[in-house]
Amino acid sequence: MSRRRALARYLAARLALVPVMLWLIASLVFLLLRVAPGDPVDAVLGTRAPEATRAALRSQLGLDQPLPQQYGQFLVDLLRGDLGESLNSQEPVGRIIGQSLPASMELGLTALLLAALLGLAVGFSGIARPEGKLDLSGRLYGIGTYALPPFWAAMVVQLIFAVWLGWLPVGGRFPPTLLPPQGSGFYLLDSLQSGLRSGQWQQLGGTIRHLLLPAGTLALLLSGIFTNALRLNLRRALGSDYVEAARSRGLGEARVVLRHALPNALLPVLTITGITVASLIGGALLIEVTYSWPGIAARLQEAIAQRDYPLVQGIVVVVAALVVLVTVVVDLLVALLDPRIRF
Amino acid sequence: MCTHWLPLLAAALVLAGCRGADGPGAAAPPQPSRSRPGSDLVVATSARVGSVDPVRASTFGATQLLSALGDPLYRLGDDGSVQPALAADVPRVSSDGLTVTIPLRRDVLFHDGTRFDADAMVFSLERFLAIGTLSYLLDERIEAVRASGSHELELRLRRPTTVLPQLLSTINLTPVSPKAYRDHSDRALSDRFVGTGPYRLSFFSDQQQRLEPFERYWGERPRNAGIVLVSLGNSTALFGAMGSGEVDVLLSTGLHEDHQQALERRAEQGDLREGQGPALEIGYITLHTQQPPFRDPALRQALAHSLDRQLISERVSQGLRSPLRDLVPPAVSGTTRQIWPAYSPDTARKLFRQAGYCDGTVLELPLTFRSNIPSDRLMVLTWQAQLARDLGDCIVLQPNGMESTTVYRQLGEGAFAAVMLDWRGAVRDPEAYLFPLLSCSEAEGEHCLRGESALSGSFWTAPGLQEELLRSEALAGAERLALLQRIEERTAAAAPYLPLWLVTPRAWAQPGLATPRFDGNGRLLLQDLQRLP
Repeated sequence: MSRRRALARYLAARLALVPVMLWLIASLVFLLLRVAPGDPVDAVLGTRAPEATRAALRSQLGLDQPLPQQYGQFLVDLLRGDLGESLNSQEPVGRIIGQSLPASMELGLTALLLAALLGLAVGFSGIARPEGKLDLSGRLYGIGTYALPPFWAAMVVQLIFAVWLGWLPVGGRFPPTLLPPQGSGFYLLDSLQSGLRSGQWQQLGGTIRHLLLPAGTLALLLSGIFTNALRLNLRRALGSDYVEAARSRGLGEARVVLRHALPNALLPVLTITGITVASLIGGALLIEVTYSWPGIAARLQEAIAQRDYPLVQGIVVVVAALVVLVTVVVDLLVALLDPRIRF
Repeated sequence: MCTHWLPLLAAALVLAGCRGADGPGAAAPPQPSRSRPGSDLVVATSARVGSVDPVRASTFGATQLLSALGDPLYRLGDDGSVQPALAADVPRVSSDGLTVTIPLRRDVLFHDGTRFDADAMVFSLERFLAIGTLSYLLDERIEAVRASGSHELELRLRRPTTVLPQLLSTINLTPVSPKAYRDHSDRALSDRFVGTGPYRLSFFSDQQQRLEPFERYWGERPRNAGIVLVSLGNSTALFGAMGSGEVDVLLSTGLHEDHQQALERRAEQGDLREGQGPALEIGYITLHTQQPPFRDPALRQALAHSLDRQLISERVSQGLRSPLRDLVPPAVSGTTRQIWPAYSPDTARKLFRQAGYCDGTVLELPLTFRSNIPSDRLMVLTWQAQLARDLGDCIVLQPNGMESTTVYRQLGEGAFAAVMLDWRGAVRDPEAYLFPLLSCSEAEGEHCLRGESALSGSFWTAPGLQEELLRSEALAGAERLALLQRIEERTAAAAPYLPLWLVTPRAWAQPGLATPRFDGNGRLLLQDLQRLP
């Protein structure tokens, strides 16, 4: 079988598993929410509403139906792409996710970019002199940032840069005195577009200032993973036979590192990036909570506290779908880039 | 060499260049006044607003927002007095007490330019009764509403009630434009609001709302150019935003006690201006009176005597929460009666001994608290230590943290021997504190089987108590208040609840602003906020 056909079969097999995984996740969430203590009727009405009022709301929400019937209806709606309405705000769940998900993705992707740049730079910096001071500092940086508790780190960064120094805003996604830019929900892009149109750059400036602290903190916490991954893989690559062969052919050290060792060392980093992207799609809850970032993780936490069944289910299903999608794409990229991979 | 510093220099320039768009002006430690002259005022709370529709608004954040966007029929002064707002006069009550007629103002416009009249009020009330999450507050009292004239509203009551004006001051009953809500008469409109209030809503998200003065408002115009309400997710962020000057006014809701204390100190030093509202929220402990050990009234009294409220208030809130020995807050009853037993470890020891404890037998009391509420945890830990100090040979407290949703769910099932809770009456009247804790529709002796008392977790009632509660509804004036006071005294004697403290709403403004003021329902008067010349 040709490599291309094998790849297509591999891809088809991975994609065929996606609906099964999504069904399993959706069913699990449906079941767990019903098993967990708490009642959405309490969350909406409080515990003191008369029984008749509670029963009416229960019936209106379909919560008086037997569990299998509720489950069947949930699956039918899901297949139709109907995620339902939030119990609390009565807004379509799809719209709520559409407002929160871009915020999390913008934060996550910016943080990932910064983390990759910082982490890879630190990881690469010590390679010239293994076990030298720079290499040791890089190792300590990698372990240290990875081990930092996110909530504590976020609070400390917030305290220093926002409260004491007053350089950057304490929280939120946009300056309260300006109107948020309209468009895709990705404020960086929307405000850039608006700036290009109008020549006014306050929106972009405000967006960047509000993004810097949460994205910077998240990047700091994630960068250690990249540092360690690159250090280890690059050292392994530099000790391998093909690098020795390149050196013996008389190639310069810079060329050996950049053209031969680095691309191979970056392959595992790509996998790590994929896993990190997948985890960030669900939002970085502690960062979002600390910086009042209106992302999907903070929204999910709130929905769970309010027992807002449709919203919790909708968020989990959408995030799970994106995570699965990213994982498949990363697997595919690795398979394409690494000729050693067999299907 | 200098090229190494170029990226850093560029980053510094970006930071410096971007500053000023919305943020503080100096890199030095926070200075008191950095408010932006002429611009909107930024008011921060921890409360996110899920829905601005009066039929859905039940959280503090939502009702605070609604109070600036809408008008109730009646308004409560900060002393609790009832003043007509959209009503033109006090309600006229028929001789049988079952029909109430309310004349309405004729000079009121909705934000969409349509005229407010009795039909609009009927539309709004019927909509609230049909789909309002808190409709039961009205439904149990009001049978029907109709327009008896173009600007006259008639309410048909199920039973006579003296708290109707207070009930009609509830901001959830604010009228909405029938034209704007035509397609939402049977469902909520969560992200828009078209009412009659001093502000109109120009932008809404759950984390931020912008309010612009309504040019054609019938009443006194707001004293500011507009308000931006922002929600910041945690106490540190709120405190930091006030310190850095990012926000102009900060509300105490969601702020930790130590942050409130620090803000109060700054206000005392003149760096901030502090305003306080009426204390309408009480913290209390519910005792399950139908299960051992608290089936024994002497033991409940012993526990009441063992509670050092002053010490707990000092340790938990540094005195910000006032010790309370009544169920009805003084701001509601008009007087501090202190009818629950005062702290007396000697009396408590005597009562514990009578109940068979102390001399070698220690009562192990599980006390449940809401683990997601920091002050609850601190209270329980402080009381545990205080009891260990004063009565360690008689009682040992066993704290049991539980998420609040689970506590509320299991409260009416009798799951807790003792549990720490709080309550704020739906209206500013003693009835709103006594009925929800004491009312009982089915009882066996002192055991309440069904009703509010069971839902509250105490399951306590007393012979004739329910009849007295119902009788109070038909009374008015001093006679009614005297009866409600007797009911509260009977409750204190039985001690199914132990009142603990009062929570006072506070707001802090930057020094360039006037001192914040609250209305009689404990909400910040946004329209009163203003920069000082």
